[in-house]
Amino acid sequence: MNFEVISPKTTPELLNAIYDNQTENFRIGAGFTDLINQFKTQETEGLILINLTQLKDDNFKLIIENKTNFQIGALTTASEIIDNKSIKENFPVLYQAASKLASTQIRNVATVGGNICNVSPSGDMTAALIALKATCHIIDCDGNERKELLSSFIRGLKKTSLTKKEIIKNITIPKNAGQNLKSGFEKVGSRKSMEISIVSLAYHLQLTNDGIITHAGVACGAVAPTIPFTTSACEFLIEKNINTISENDKEEFAIKVLEYANPISDIRASDWYRKEVLFNVSKTIFGK
Amino acid sequence: MLLRQFIKNSSNPPLTPPKEGKLPPFGRVGVGQTSNFKTMKKELNIIGKSHQKLDGKERVSGKAVYGHDIELPNMLHGSILRAKYPCAEIISIDTSKALTLEGVECIITANDVDVNNIGYKRDHPILKKGTVNCNRDEIAAVAAQTKEIADKAIQLIEVKYKIKEGVYDPFEALKETAPRINEFGKGAEQFGNKNVAEYFHYEHGNLAEQKAKSKVIVKKRYELPRVTHACMATSNITAEFNNFDGRLTLWSSTQVPFLYQRDIAHALKMEPSKIRVIQPIIGGGFGSKLDMHPFEPICVLLAKKSGKPVQILYSREEEFLASPTRQPMVIDLTTGCDENGKFTFREVEIIKDNGAYTSWGATTPFVMMQSYSSLYQVPACKFDSHAVYTNNPFAGSFRGYGNPQATFSIESNIDLMAEELGMDKREIRLINANYKGEITGQGLHFKTCGAIPALKTVIEKSNYDKIMAAPNTGRYKRGVGLGSMLHVGGGAKIYRSDGCGTTLKLDDYGYLTIVTGSNEIGQGSETVLAMIAMEELGIPKEKIKVINTDTDVKPWDVGVHASRTSFVAGNSLLGAIKLIKEKLNNKASQLLNVKTNEWEYKDGSMLFNGQEIKLDKVAREMHFASPHELCTVNYFYEPPSRFQDKDFKGDVSGNYAFASQAIEVEVDTVTGNVQVLNVHVSQDVGRVLNPIGLQGQMEGGLATGIGYALTEEMIYEKGILKNPSFHGYKMLTSTDMPDVHFYPIETYDEAGPYGSKGAGEAPLIPTAAAIANAVSNALGVRFYSLPITAEKVLRALSEKKLETRNSKQETNKI
Ligand SMILES: Cc1cc2nc3c(=O)[nH]c(=O)nc-3n(C[C@H](O)[C@H](O)[C@H](O)COP(=O)(O)OP(=O)(O)OC[C@H]3O[C@@H](n4cnc5c(N)ncnc54)[C@H](O)[C@@H]3O)c2cc1C
Repeated sequence: MNFEVISPKTTPELLNAIYDNQTENFRIGAGFTDLINQFKTQETEGLILINLTQLKDDNFKLIIENKTNFQIGALTTASEIIDNKSIKENFPVLYQAASKLASTQIRNVATVGGNICNVSPSGDMTAALIALKATCHIIDCDGNERKELLSSFIRGLKKTSLTKKEIIKNITIPKNAGQNLKSGFEKVGSRKSMEISIVSLAYHLQLTNDGIITHAGVACGAVAPTIPFTTSACEFLIEKNINTISENDKEEFAIKVLEYANPISDIRASDWYRKEVLFNVSKTIFGK
Repeated sequence: MLLRQFIKNSSNPPLTPPKEGKLPPFGRVGVGQTSNFKTMKKELNIIGKSHQKLDGKERVSGKAVYGHDIELPNMLHGSILRAKYPCAEIISIDTSKALTLEGVECIITANDVDVNNIGYKRDHPILKKGTVNCNRDEIAAVAAQTKEIADKAIQLIEVKYKIKEGVYDPFEALKETAPRINEFGKGAEQFGNKNVAEYFHYEHGNLAEQKAKSKVIVKKRYELPRVTHACMATSNITAEFNNFDGRLTLWSSTQVPFLYQRDIAHALKMEPSKIRVIQPIIGGGFGSKLDMHPFEPICVLLAKKSGKPVQILYSREEEFLASPTRQPMVIDLTTGCDENGKFTFREVEIIKDNGAYTSWGATTPFVMMQSYSSLYQVPACKFDSHAVYTNNPFAGSFRGYGNPQATFSIESNIDLMAEELGMDKREIRLINANYKGEITGQGLHFKTCGAIPALKTVIEKSNYDKIMAAPNTGRYKRGVGLGSMLHVGGGAKIYRSDGCGTTLKLDDYGYLTIVTGSNEIGQGSETVLAMIAMEELGIPKEKIKVINTDTDVKPWDVGVHASRTSFVAGNSLLGAIKLIKEKLNNKASQLLNVKTNEWEYKDGSMLFNGQEIKLDKVAREMHFASPHELCTVNYFYEPPSRFQDKDFKGDVSGNYAFASQAIEVEVDTVTGNVQVLNVHVSQDVGRVLNPIGLQGQMEGGLATGIGYALTEEMIYEKGILKNPSFHGYKMLTSTDMPDVHFYPIETYDEAGPYGSKGAGEAPLIPTAAAIANAVSNALGVRFYSLPITAEKVLRALSEKKLETRNSKQETNKI
C-alpha cells in the first residue's frame, strides 16, 4: 500500500482537498475498517487518501438533539452510538445494531458514515437507520448542501447517489411521536462477535399506551442487493395491537417481509436458509 | 470455575454397582492407589499450585520475539507461486519478466534444484514439475529485497497449464477408471489400488461370535469435515546459509526440531548436523508443525542461491490455503451390544481424503484404532482405514490426531444403541467403561484409570437429570450429551526413541540452567519443568533458566506431539535432578563433614540436622576447590512403552488418559444456531502439575472442539478453497466460549512425573461427540456430519416438520 494522505482539520480544508483532487483518483477514509480491506486487493498506486480522522467539526462528529430530529455526525463511531443515552432510549434498534457490530476494537473506529457509504447489504447500522427513516445530509466541495432519504440515497449494490464532489456530513432521524416503542435489531450469524450478518432484521415500532402500532419501520439486511425498507409489511402493522396480534397476522407480516427478500447463496448460507430465517425471525419480533 | 475440585465419594449410589473386584474403587481419587513412587507421597510445595508461564509477560506485553520479528542483515523476503489450478499439467514456466523487476534477487523452479521428495511417503516434490496435483502446489519461488517486490514478481511469472479434470472425492479416486493422482504413490504395488496412499488394518476378538451375541446392532455413516489449526502466528521461516562452512541456520517454528533437522537434510541432500534449528517463540502449533512443509526447504534453496538470508512469512490467506488440515473422512461404523447393554463388537471402515500428498496425518489410524479397540470394553474389533489420494490439499496432523473423528462416531453410536435398547445413556457408558488393571484387546494396559470417576463426575455435576426432565417447548430447546475419550498419556512409541535428554548446570551464583531436549510451543511445558526444579532443588523461579530452542545445544527429544512433553521431559528432568543431587549431597557432606544423603533443599540452601550451606557455595567449592569438577549432569529418559507388533498390538504408551464431557446446549429453533451453555469436563490427568496451565489447555482445547462441532469448515469447490479468511472460516471467538467447569481426576500413575499423565490433546477429543449428542437430545434429530451448522439444523427441523405434518396428513404450509 502506497499512497499520499491528506488530513484536513477543518471543513473548508476538507472541501478544498476534494475540490483540488476532483480529477485525481482519491478516496475518503473515516475509520478505514472497510477501506483497508479493499486496499489489500486493489491497486493503490497513485491513490490519494483524504483522511477524515483529524477533522474537527461538530457537524461531522456529534450527536445533537434538534427540535424535530436527532442529528448524528457521519464520523460518529459505533462505540459513540452505544454510549449515547438518547440513542439508547429513543432508538433501541440503532443502539442494538451498533452493539452487535464486529468487536470492541472495530466499533471504536467504525463510523456511521462509513457504514452507509460502504453500501453493503449487511451493514448493520445502515439497516437500523433505514428502519428509522433516516435522512442523509450531504455537502459538496462547492459548498452546496442537499438532503436525501437514506433508503433512496442507496441506489443499488455498492451504489449511492453521491457524486465525486460530495460527502456525507451527518444523518438525521425523526423524533418518535411518543414513548412506547417496540424497537430492536435481530442479527443472525454463527458467531456472537466478529460476524457479518447472514440476515438481519431492524424494526422500530411506535405504539400507543394500549399497544396499538402507529408508526412502523422495518428493514432487512443481507437478503437483497440493497437493504429494503419493507413498506407493505410496515403498512400491514399499522393499527394492529402488539399485545394481541394473532399468530396468523404474525405469519402474514413475515410473508410480507419475505417479499422483499431476494437473497443469494454463498459460502456463509444458502438463499433457502436466508429466507427461512428471515421468515422465522420476522414472526418473533412481537414477543415480550 | 473449580480448578481443583477433587472427586469426593458420591452420595448417590452408582447407577449399576460395579462388580466386586472388577472395577476400581470409585471415590476420592488417590484412595486405593498402591504405588510407592517416592515423589508422590511427599508433601509438595510447588507442584499442584498455579504458576505463571515463564514467557507470559513477554507474550502479553508484545515483547516476545516470534519468527516474524526476526531481521537479519541483508535479509531478503521470499514469496511462493502456487498452482492456479488444482489439477493440471505444467507446459512451461517463464520467469524472465519477473527477473527484470528491480529488487528481485533470484527465482527458483523445479528445474533449478537438486532435491529429494519430502513427506512421510516421500511422495511430495518440494517444487512441482510436470504435474500439478492441488491448489497449494508450489511452482516457483522468488527472493527479493522486500516482501512487496517478491509478491509482485510472483505475479509476473508466466505459467502455461493444460487443465485436467481433477478428482476431489476419495470414493471416485478409488474407482478403477480414476486417473493416478500422485505419480510417486505406491498404492498399486502395496495396497492394490493406485490411489491408496496408506492402509491400516487391525482386529481382535471373535467378530462373528460377538455379532451373534448382539441384541442391537447399529450401523451408521459419519462424515467429518476439513478444518485447520488457524494458528494466530502464520507460518514462518528464516534461513541463513553460510557458504564458507556449508552450515545452515534455520529460525523455524517446527514442533519437532530433531526430526525436522533430519527432514531438511534429506530434502536438500545435506548433512543433518550442519543444520542448526532455532525455535523463536511459536504462535500456535496444534500439530500443524509436525511435518516439514515445502516452504521450509524452499526458503533454504532461496538463501543458498541468493547467498543472503531469506525469510518467508505467510499471509493469513496463504495460511488458510497452504497450511495443513485435519483429515476429512467418511466413517462407516457398525457396533453392537447384548441385551444388557454390554458392548459386543465394533467394525469400522474409514475412507480418508489424503489430499494430493501424504503427511504424518496419514498415520492417524494409529490413534483411531486405539479408540475403536479400547475406548470402553470392546470384546471384538475390526478396523480398516484407507487414506486415498485426491486433488484436494493434503491433510496433516492436528491435535487429537484422528481421535475427535473416531470418538464422534463411537459416542454417537453408543447413544443410538442405548435408544434402541431403551437404556439410560449414562448407564450404558458406565457398565462398559474402562477400568483399572484392564488390558484391552489391543494390549493397552491401564495401570491406572480414571474413566469411571470422570464419567460419574460429569454426570453428577452437569445436572443431567434436571436438564432431561425440564420441559422442552418454545423457541429455545435445551439438551445434554455425553462423550468420553481415551488417549495416550505417556508418549507414544512410534520412533525408535520416545525419549528426552536433559542437561543441568548449577552455576557459581546458584542459578540453575535446564537444557532440555523438549520444546515449548506455547503449551507451558517449560514452566512445568521450572516448577519441578523449584520443587526438588528449592531454587526460586527467578534463578532458573530453561534452554530449549537450539538443536546445536540441546540433547535429543522426539518433539511435541502425543501430549507427551511434560510426561517425558518431566521424567527426564527428575532423573537429572537425582544425579545432580547426588553430586551436591556428596560435596555438601564433605564440606560440612557429615555423613548423610538426606539433604533437604530449601530456599537456595541445603539443610541437614540444623546445618545449612548455600547451594551456590557448594557449586563454587566444586568448581574452584580440588578435585575441580563441574556441577553439571546429563540424563536420558526413555519411557517404558513398547513398539506395537505388526498387528498393532502392545502397550504403546507409558500411561493412558481418560476424560468425559457432559455438554449442555441450547438450540434456537428460529435461527438454527446451537449455543453451548455449559461444558463439564473431567479428565484423568494423573496428577495436576500446574493448575492454571492445565485450565488453559482445557479452555483452548474446548474452543477448538466446539468450533469443530458447530462452525468450522474449509469449504472447497473442485479443489479450490472458498473461505480462506476468518470472515468466511468460522473460528469461534472468546465471546462464544461457554462456562467451562473442570474437574481433574488424580490417579497418580507411577509412570508419570509426580503421577501425572499427558493432558494436552484430550480436551477437544470428546467435545464434538458430546455436542452432537446434546443437540440430538434437544431436538430429537441426529446429525451424522460435522459441523452442525445453523443451516443444517434449520433444514433438519423443517424436514421434521414436514414429516410430522405429512404423517398427520395435513397440508403443507410454509
Ligand atoms: C473485522 C470486521 C468486522 C466487521 N463487522 C461488521 C459488522 O458486524 N457489521 C457491519 O455493519 N459492518 C462490519 N464491518 C464493516 C465496517 O466496519 C463498517 O462498515 C464500518 O461502519 C465502516 O466504517 P469506517 O469508518 O471504518 O469506513 P471506511 O472504511 O473509512 O470507509 C468506508 C467507505 O465509506 C466511505 N466514506 C466514509 N465516510 C464517508 C463520508 N462521511 N462521506 C462519504 N463517504 C464516506 C469511504 O470512502 C469508503 O468507501 C466489519 C469490518 C471488519 C474489518
